[in-house]
Amino acid sequence: MITLTIDNQTVEVAAGATILEAARKLGIYIPVLCFADGCKPSTSCMVCVVCVEGFKTLVPACGTRAAPNMVVHTQSEEIAKARKAAIELLLSDHVGDCEGPCEMGCPAGMDIPKMIRQIAAEDWQGAIRTVKQDIPLPAILGRICPAPCEKVCRRAQADEPVAICLLKRFVADVDLDSSNPYMPHCTQPTGRKAAVIGAGPAGLSAAYYLKQAGIECDVYDEHAQPGGALRFADIDRMRLPLSVVEREIGQLLSIGVRFIGNIRVGRDVSIDELKSQYDAFLLAVGPKDAAQAAADWGIAVIDDKIQTDRQKYSTSVKGIFAAGGCTGSRNLCIRAVADGKKAAYAIQSYLLGLNGVPVRTYCHRMGVVEKEQLQFFLKHASGAERTQPLTVNSGYLPQQARQEAQRCLHCDCRKADQCALRQRATELAARQKSWESQEDLVARIVKDKNIIFEPGKCIKCGLCVQTAKKEGQKIGLAFEGRGFEMKIAVPLNKSLADGLTQAALKCIEICPTGALAPAAQ
Amino acid sequence: MSEIDLTIVDACIERIGRQPCYALPLLQAVQEAFGYLPEEAIERLSEKTDCTASTLWSVATFYDQFRLKPAGRYAIRVCVGTACHVKGSDQIYEAFRRYLKIAEGEDTDADRLFTVDRVACLGCCTLAPAVQIGEVTYGHVTQETVGAVLTDFLERQKTASRHPDRRVGHDVPPEGEIRIGLGSCCVARGSAKLLAAIKQVMEETAIRASIKHVGCVGMCYQTPLLEIVSPSGQSTLYVRVEPEDAKPILLKHFRPSGKLRSLANCICDAVDRILTDSVALPIDRYPADVREPDISDFLSRQKRIATEHCGSLSPVDIDEYKSRGGFQAFQKALTDLSPEDIIEQIHQSGLRGRGGAGYPTHLKWTAVRLAEAEQKFIVCNGDEGDPGAFMDRMLMESYPFRILEGMMIAARAVGASRGYLYIRDEYPLAVERISRAIEQCHAHGYLGEGIVASDFSLELKIYKGAGAFVCGEETALLKSIEGKRPAPHLRPPYPARQGLWGYPTLINNVETYSLVPWIIRQGAAAFAQLGTPQSRGTKVFALAGKIRRGGLIEVPMGITIRQVVEEIGGGIEGDKKLKAVQIGGPSGGCVPAEMADISIDYESLHAAGAIMGSGGLVVLDETDCMVDIARYFLEFTQRQSCGRCTFCRIGTKRMLEILQRLCSGQGKADDLDKLHQLAVMVQNTSICGLGKTAPNPVLSTLKYFRREYEAHLNGVCPAGKCRGLITYSINDECIGCTICAQRCPADAIAMKPYEKHQIDQAKCIRCGTCKSVCPADAVEVK
Repeated sequence: MITLTIDNQTVEVAAGATILEAARKLGIYIPVLCFADGCKPSTSCMVCVVCVEGFKTLVPACGTRAAPNMVVHTQSEEIAKARKAAIELLLSDHVGDCEGPCEMGCPAGMDIPKMIRQIAAEDWQGAIRTVKQDIPLPAILGRICPAPCEKVCRRAQADEPVAICLLKRFVADVDLDSSNPYMPHCTQPTGRKAAVIGAGPAGLSAAYYLKQAGIECDVYDEHAQPGGALRFADIDRMRLPLSVVEREIGQLLSIGVRFIGNIRVGRDVSIDELKSQYDAFLLAVGPKDAAQAAADWGIAVIDDKIQTDRQKYSTSVKGIFAAGGCTGSRNLCIRAVADGKKAAYAIQSYLLGLNGVPVRTYCHRMGVVEKEQLQFFLKHASGAERTQPLTVNSGYLPQQARQEAQRCLHCDCRKADQCALRQRATELAARQKSWESQEDLVARIVKDKNIIFEPGKCIKCGLCVQTAKKEGQKIGLAFEGRGFEMKIAVPLNKSLADGLTQAALKCIEICPTGALAPAAQ
Repeated sequence: MSEIDLTIVDACIERIGRQPCYALPLLQAVQEAFGYLPEEAIERLSEKTDCTASTLWSVATFYDQFRLKPAGRYAIRVCVGTACHVKGSDQIYEAFRRYLKIAEGEDTDADRLFTVDRVACLGCCTLAPAVQIGEVTYGHVTQETVGAVLTDFLERQKTASRHPDRRVGHDVPPEGEIRIGLGSCCVARGSAKLLAAIKQVMEETAIRASIKHVGCVGMCYQTPLLEIVSPSGQSTLYVRVEPEDAKPILLKHFRPSGKLRSLANCICDAVDRILTDSVALPIDRYPADVREPDISDFLSRQKRIATEHCGSLSPVDIDEYKSRGGFQAFQKALTDLSPEDIIEQIHQSGLRGRGGAGYPTHLKWTAVRLAEAEQKFIVCNGDEGDPGAFMDRMLMESYPFRILEGMMIAARAVGASRGYLYIRDEYPLAVERISRAIEQCHAHGYLGEGIVASDFSLELKIYKGAGAFVCGEETALLKSIEGKRPAPHLRPPYPARQGLWGYPTLINNVETYSLVPWIIRQGAAAFAQLGTPQSRGTKVFALAGKIRRGGLIEVPMGITIRQVVEEIGGGIEGDKKLKAVQIGGPSGGCVPAEMADISIDYESLHAAGAIMGSGGLVVLDETDCMVDIARYFLEFTQRQSCGRCTFCRIGTKRMLEILQRLCSGQGKADDLDKLHQLAVMVQNTSICGLGKTAPNPVLSTLKYFRREYEAHLNGVCPAGKCRGLITYSINDECIGCTICAQRCPADAIAMKPYEKHQIDQAKCIRCGTCKSVCPADAVEVK
């Protein structure tokens, strides 16, 4: 046994154990990226560097063996700087988007590429689940949304954007017409209650997500029926028939949200009375009534709009939140829906005592890509033109939806949620452009039946090379070349299908980034 | 693609073996057979041997030596070592490409006759800029002579006739000795032709002298060298000898038998006129009496230990080596000293590793000695890859027995019974000499089972590298021998505990082993007397760059940079001023002229931001741009990085991009800070010596020449070197001779006889040809 000290704590480990193992035994967290349990440490990423007294340089904890009386420090300014720089250097050589431009462009942040892949696979149920994760009123929005997502769609660089909005409408219409429509899973009631004032898109959206989080929710509105602007604004009803509004809102409320109409809060019911019944309030009264509501509730205004914290949706009074047009948000339905959803999370954090502001997840962005790069994307998409619906106001037929879905370039990363590079980048608050390269980064995308290989996302750790070898893969993978040009490739310029067969899944699993990812969703 | 004859591959496998450790030699054999590595051949190897496709591919794509595409018939390898770089090798490389009309992205001409490549360093720094075509090395190549060089090469191919090396028979006692340098520099400058001419003269005149091939004399700036020891024992050294000089020189010193005798006298006067720089060299016939010879400034400050008997020892003659004290030390180590005694002697001598880091040699030896294992290995690191260094090449070419003897002593001390000499592929002569020396050692019972009737056995083999600087790093070198992709790994475990195939392995540099026999023979105290308290003994340096007398020197540690530059090197070439000395190659740094009085020892150099390194010493003058030098070295290390560690792989790339920006006038305000930050982090987070030291050239120039960096930020290159920042123009001195217009490779100058010429800046490629050919000095650089 070896005794060593890490961050002033003494620990005993077996001979041959690494500093990382010793630290884990103590419960000390050392970030790792290229290290995987059960594999030989490749000591390449340098994210796990620590300082060992008496050593001239920082050393990777994953590969440095513990030695008797070793004194290790895992935290210092130098270490933090080096870890962050290691990540930022990797990011400077990283090609890809964590999330597709469409998803980034969508105010509600819907996982559009995932929905499209589900449509392509005729997984309508999966698709509506994906949609409703972020958008509670897709049939309505599918008819009136100006589709900011399509404005940033990468496909537009080649011809026309993918018809995201129509695809969403298709998914929603299928669900609306279904005898067994999608019902989100609601967690056990937490015993907390919230009131939403205003049954427009923002209020309904908030209520939908609050209910799912186990918070009982009543929606008050001065009108007899819910919908707010969706019902009363000047909208071309050829585009958005009232029946769609009614049916979709009905579906929304059916998860257990109570609508209380014909009540003007402050007039028909006193605010004090409400305060005695609910634990939190969301004001979503729309732009016109903002000043009045603020006065009623005794909260601060700025330029006739309710003053809120942009992240927390909190007003000047504790427990009272505000979202949508009454806070000065753009008067856009999708914006209001997005606001409502985020406000619901804020209220949930407040009521359930979750910790403050959520950490902003790192998002790598390619921006406008070079022609050469665009070719790699286009290679795996249908070359067809944008699919037009039968008439101006009609939606897609299933066949058309499938066809249109084939046009998607799938710019997003298939492993965005598992990517260790992204997780470390988030933890270390890394920035994409700290060590920006002069060159335009272009990376090939290789797609096989089951597996996608994007060398531009590779961190060259070689875990896949090890894994392929371990699995007895005949051709396998190899390091090719050296230095900056070094890459992981299938030996002898063979195809990915030749290189990886039985080991493919394991290689995808072990890859710390999205370089090796499953082709199917 | 044409069909590949796979039976050739099978034959290679039969000859070499199937084990994984043969990956590199197998690939080398296949490349030799086909001129490149056809994919089908690699696949065949993976099917018929124990080497996996993955390993073969990663090895084949790692080394510079290998090509995956067919190459032209002849390889043109333009040396871009440091000495060549400062003398314009980039322009030479481009000139070859232009001349052969090689399209961008290609490396071979349309006729598939020549493939042009850059090579890290040919180790012929005194011939800079040097180019190797096929087996021929051309020195001092200019953009102007590119065509002539190619013509000459093709001529040679046509007339190539084999003159078998033939020694004068021993049946007639020779009267005197003719010593001809056959080190790479001498050969490159035509010593083979000279040898042929001498033999012809001897046949014609019946002069009875013995011809002796000697190793490198170190005076590479004067090659080819010819030394005549007359029958009376008087020695005369001739330098820069042309084949046609052979006859007059021989006739001056030797009495021809027969008719030609009368001719001799007539020619003598002529000889004295032709040959300058001849220096009288007293011969030392008795090795016991060797004293430091004081013959010329170049030699006077030197102290020969690793290069003992320099210029008078035949490299591969074991009898001669023995007659001059060879193997005495080994004998002593075998019979008089215990392994512990040997190590104690090394300890007392204060010897530190000559490969770069200066680790105390006895500590390494002790560690291997103490390691318990049924098998131990000994390895000689001859993978000298620093651009601007050629010491190890010279030692291997000239003193192969000394290296072997050092290894034998070391092997005895640590208990190793098998070993390898890892030698760069770029040093064919070294490989040949060492292998001949090994053969002779076997024949004389110095290698093999039960050496000189003892229980000590040692088998040594040569392992040829394939062109990767990082293989000089010990863990990478060992992986290379094991047939794996040579990416260094984290230490510990050190090779002394877990080296080759997990066995304890002693690995030292060529020069370190070369010093060992002397220490054992002359005693540790004699060695420890030399040098400084921390850095004992001597160090061999390759002196090159803007220096009058470049070459190989062995000096006691503690000598100052100024003494080396001025007293040994004869000062700066031309009328220029010393600006800095680059010591230690890509791992080292630039010591500015103001600090020229610092002592050359491990500690002082380290304090100055340089390192001893393996001993490359490149002298820079005022026309050298320090930002360009930093860029040059970083480009080198960046290209040589194995790519494992993030900081070394991407960090050095980003650093290089900043330097490239600066050199092209695109620098940004915070570039210098970023450069510094990155440099420190790369130093601090890399796991091997390459990464840890790669930022040194940048950090040392940033420290001593920050103003020059700042000037580049403002779009000015004070030395007038960075092509992106300079313009050529023609002033009123122009006499309208049209030479510049005729020679301009880019047609940027219109021909206007008797008028002032003008340079079209849009076409100008800033090669400097016009300036070098202008007879009126009318071309200005700004």
